[in-house]
Amino acid sequence: MRLIPSLLAAGLLVTAAACAEPAADRPTVAVITAYLANAATKEVVEDFQAAGEKRGWKVTVTDTAGDFNALNSKMVNAANEKVSAIVLGMGDPQQMGLGLRAAGDASVPVVAIDAAAADGIAANVTSDNDDLGRQSAEALVEAVGGQGRIAMLTHDPHPGVRARAAAAKAVFEKAGIQVVASKHVAVPGPVEAARKVTDDLLTAYTGGNALNGIWAGWDEPALGATQSIEQAGRPDVAVVGVDGQDFALAEIDKGGPFRATVKQDWPGVADKAAAVVDDLLNGKAAAEKQYTLPGTLVTQKK
Amino acid sequence: MKETRAGLPTVDAAGPAAAAEPTAAGGTRRWIPGTPVAFAALVVLFAVLRPQSFLSTGNLRNTVEQIAILAVVAAVQTVVMAVGEFDLSVGALVSLTGVVAAHLMLDGTPVAPAILAAVLTGTAVGVVNGVLVAWLRLSAFVATLAVLTALAGTSLLLTDGSTLFGLPAGFVAIGRDRLGGVPVLVIVAAVAAAVVWFLLAHTSAGARWYAVGGNAEAAWYAGIDARWMRLAAFVVSGAGAGVAGVLLTSRLASAHPTAGDGLMLTSIAAVFLGMTASRSGRVTVGGTLLGVAVLGVLDNGLNLLQIDTYVQQVLTGLILIYAVALSRRREARR
Repeated sequence: MRLIPSLLAAGLLVTAAACAEPAADRPTVAVITAYLANAATKEVVEDFQAAGEKRGWKVTVTDTAGDFNALNSKMVNAANEKVSAIVLGMGDPQQMGLGLRAAGDASVPVVAIDAAAADGIAANVTSDNDDLGRQSAEALVEAVGGQGRIAMLTHDPHPGVRARAAAAKAVFEKAGIQVVASKHVAVPGPVEAARKVTDDLLTAYTGGNALNGIWAGWDEPALGATQSIEQAGRPDVAVVGVDGQDFALAEIDKGGPFRATVKQDWPGVADKAAAVVDDLLNGKAAAEKQYTLPGTLVTQKK
Repeated sequence: MKETRAGLPTVDAAGPAAAAEPTAAGGTRRWIPGTPVAFAALVVLFAVLRPQSFLSTGNLRNTVEQIAILAVVAAVQTVVMAVGEFDLSVGALVSLTGVVAAHLMLDGTPVAPAILAAVLTGTAVGVVNGVLVAWLRLSAFVATLAVLTALAGTSLLLTDGSTLFGLPAGFVAIGRDRLGGVPVLVIVAAVAAAVVWFLLAHTSAGARWYAVGGNAEAAWYAGIDARWMRLAAFVVSGAGAGVAGVLLTSRLASAHPTAGDGLMLTSIAAVFLGMTASRSGRVTVGGTLLGVAVLGVLDNGLNLLQIDTYVQQVLTGLILIYAVALSRRREARR
């Protein structure tokens, strides 16, 4: 009876081996990320993959679904395999110390996309998160008429979102907008989490204390907040997000509470990251530790 | 908990302790219904601290709507735990079935067949879980963990990791509309939970589930084939996850590959909380729903009190421990 499972397992292994490409002389670039379920990460990783393949590289993509321990292991594996370069898709480099050390020991260069500058990372290519936070906050200030009370939906473990939130907060303080609550949004399930929190915020702040707006660190919680506001029948509460995902643009088009988002230049980020990797493969060091690209504000058509 | 196949822990569906069990010290274990007490205490506390907002109709409706989907998942998890197993794949299955429904509708399938396909997908995965556990004798922990992993990958494959949106208005209405002031979502969830409650509490299948969970060997001598009962429990769980997936996708008007993942642990927490609601410590759908209510009220009340989110998580963990510990408190009596 044990024969059948064994045969099945053997069959699976043979199939997997047949699917794997034979090693080639061309450079292998390993993209390793914990956030492939995030639409923005997915987009930039695909853009990078296309840019790399155009240059004749073999680009592999590994996702660890939010698990940074596994991410470090994958980095160590890639370093042991002596890939030509490792590219990190988002996440905090401080959580990748083990993997970065292994890459350094094996002299495998590491380039980060939308992470942060850190020791062991040749260069980080990212949207200018300060700019994204600033632009989205300014859009919200305008949407609430330059005064009132707002709540922020944040996710501090992500350094990009943390930077946006800090920049946005500075804008609100300068404009005299009162930030009455700053709520951490859980991942996975940010839409539902943001929706619940917004339900409760709308209940908690009523009458003279009513909320005028909600700033979300990325588009998914902005969508959840929008749904809660629509359900509560409070279309006067304005929402802004960051990322410029398709679903966010569709919401903004509807002319409802979702007023604006800041679209990140993912193709530009991916291209720049590929150019940095290209230079490194040709023995040319990155000129800067961090490259930042501005975002584009998308608002409702007047 | 007891040790079973492969040395992994499973739930003892018959409950942790009988009512007035003698202790080594010669005293007795006095039973306190931890979860009902915690629930009442939380309601009173929040009502006193935030009388205007907490007790408002709008807030009540919001809270019920927020916990409706968890209620369905926790109710079916109760059935699996009644036979002494766990279903760890249930959250990932909620995500996947939502994705399946959305995918089909975006490809032009009408709403009703798409919903049916989602529920059938859930049911089919339930069959797989059941066969793995009951016939291949894998521990439920390992089997459903493996299935969870495969399902998560399938959701990502089907969505390409992105969000599916632009679903038909008729489908989105399930998550948005109200019938006589009651959200449709809540009605559907209540019906689903009621069906599971009826199955477990008032049918011979329910009695057999408890028998298998209590003592599989004794059940075997009584002529009950534990394999079919385990399979049936996982099938109920899969179908329930399918219903929950449909509800979640309609509520969010979009499908995300990881949208339901968080439901797995909270559903198990709700069942454990519910076990403290009865003297026997049995898992029951009623107890589980009370557990769901505790989690929902806690979340809602702490938000209304404007307590920091990180502090909220710590408090939630502590209150869970307190509720479960309360019902097992040992009080020496002569």
